[in-house]
Amino acid sequence: MNAIIISALLGVLMMYMGFVTKKTRNYTMVAVIGLLALLASIWLDYVGFPFFQIDTKGMLGFNSFGLTFDLVVVASCLIYFLLSGAEIETFGKSSSDFYALIFFILTGMFIISGMKSLLILFIGIEIVSIPLYILAGSEKSNLKSNEAALKYFLLGSFSTGLMLMGIAFIYGDSGTFYLEGINIGFGALSSMMAIGLVLILAAMSFKVSAAPFHFWTPDVYDGTPTVFTSFMATIVKSAGFFAFFKLFENAFGSFHKHWELLISFIAVLTLLIGNITAVFQQSLKRLLSYSSIAQAGFMILGVYALNIYAKQGLILYFAVYSMATIGIFAVLAKFKDHSIEAFNGFAKRHPMVSAAMLICILSLAGIPLTGGFFAKYYMLLAVIKYAKVVWLAIVAVLCAAISVYYYFRVIQAMYFKDAETYEEVEFSKGFKYMMIINAVLLILLGIHPDWLFSLVSN
Amino acid sequence: MAMSMVEILFWFLTSLSIFSALMVVFSKNPVHSVLWLIMVFFSISGHYILLNAQFLAIVNMIVYAGAIMVLFLFVIMLMNLNTENEQSKSKWLQLAAALSGGSMMLILVAALKGNVAKATAMFTQDSGIGLIKNLGNVLFTDYVVPFEISSVLFLSAMVGAVILGKKEAA
Repeated sequence: MNAIIISALLGVLMMYMGFVTKKTRNYTMVAVIGLLALLASIWLDYVGFPFFQIDTKGMLGFNSFGLTFDLVVVASCLIYFLLSGAEIETFGKSSSDFYALIFFILTGMFIISGMKSLLILFIGIEIVSIPLYILAGSEKSNLKSNEAALKYFLLGSFSTGLMLMGIAFIYGDSGTFYLEGINIGFGALSSMMAIGLVLILAAMSFKVSAAPFHFWTPDVYDGTPTVFTSFMATIVKSAGFFAFFKLFENAFGSFHKHWELLISFIAVLTLLIGNITAVFQQSLKRLLSYSSIAQAGFMILGVYALNIYAKQGLILYFAVYSMATIGIFAVLAKFKDHSIEAFNGFAKRHPMVSAAMLICILSLAGIPLTGGFFAKYYMLLAVIKYAKVVWLAIVAVLCAAISVYYYFRVIQAMYFKDAETYEEVEFSKGFKYMMIINAVLLILLGIHPDWLFSLVSN
Repeated sequence: MAMSMVEILFWFLTSLSIFSALMVVFSKNPVHSVLWLIMVFFSISGHYILLNAQFLAIVNMIVYAGAIMVLFLFVIMLMNLNTENEQSKSKWLQLAAALSGGSMMLILVAALKGNVAKATAMFTQDSGIGLIKNLGNVLFTDYVVPFEISSVLFLSAMVGAVILGKKEAA
């Protein structure tokens, strides 16, 4: 509860920052301080000091899983602001408004993290989505950005409509919005409930860009200004998966046997489409958007398994995937040319930044010693522990092997290719240190994932 | 078989709403489509009244049939879209859309066939349930948290509208 109220207030504060100061640097500073306050308040909530005692009629409730997710979200958002704040500032006077929107999105995520009712899920998802449509279209003079916003808005509204229809069917069948109330089905699935479940499944798959509902992703991620793509592809996607997992665990857990096959098909399709299409991309931005689909395939395995390994693994996955992708996007946002060739000889020009970026890429590929390895490992472990379904794990491992190929193309360009003409990019000292800190955190999480796990289990 | 008044009204409103909804899709002229859409909203409002949701019916008429549809009409007229030219879509696209929409309908109908009992239960309920007094009571006691939270949603939508409407800073 702390986090919801404070982040909403921070959003309002950022709205008025435009009147207080014209210096864009100050906006980022206030936003970072706000995030630190948010982090502290969530931590206080976690150790048992909630500031607000509100009777929510059982619609909102925070457990260690939800609060750990909040911590991960705020921490990755902090890294995002510190790395990409300079790009948000290029929007000039209105950049404080964008910070306000991001804080509202965070509010939506905290609401999702505590949801115990379908009503709250719907409001939370809408609070996350609507500001995103605006962020996608924030570069008003750029036609591609306009196209991305319109596409995202139309398809997003359609998928929200599907979700509402699903919620209506489930309400019609069970007579309640409460997740626990829906779960009392004794494993028998009525026809209305089944329709509701499938409709919600489709809508949630859309939100997390799982195949075959992924078609919007490359265009929208490509058209959106890079700095906001970074936010959309990481933190927002984590929130989508959290909602996905929590909904299917708490509301549809007793029907697990009925939908596990469906979701395993979605997982396999997402893994295959994401990884195979990514191989053919020439632009790093598009490659990252396909890679985000591919990573979504791995995260769906967690929803498939629905056990404690999946819970812990997903939290780790959110953290390392967000950090790694934010790091790469932060470097990419400095470039005008988004092709992979733009990175030819990058390591010679900027050894420090490229080393940090190397670690981010290795983490995405799931190479041991980086956090990405354990994240993927835990997803596979969850699947094996759940049902001994080896074929699903084999597909996932094969796809991870494919992913190494296209991730290494970027590394090859950075380290083993020379460029005669290249785009000169400037990195500030603070940016370089932040990239290094990010990379060190990724490695630390690869060595000690139990730090995050212990937060979830107790 | 004698039908009760409610049943006659139900079938009338249902056929009217389905017919108007089809006309929305099949009208070549966008202005006609909007007018048919108003018809759909009115007939759905009639359904709400049958379901004892009087307040919802009135709000649906005022907000959707009134305000939003007028906005639609203005936009269509301002952008001069009221010409009867429709862009041709590819045959495959039409076929795929018809197939997926049709199979969705098939599944819905098949699943809902056995659930008649639940629908009739609604008619016999207390008729005061949808009055504004009861609705307000529930909204500000049981559902006050979602109600307050949705203010964040509207605030963010407002900020977004301002951002999109503002002149680009030079």
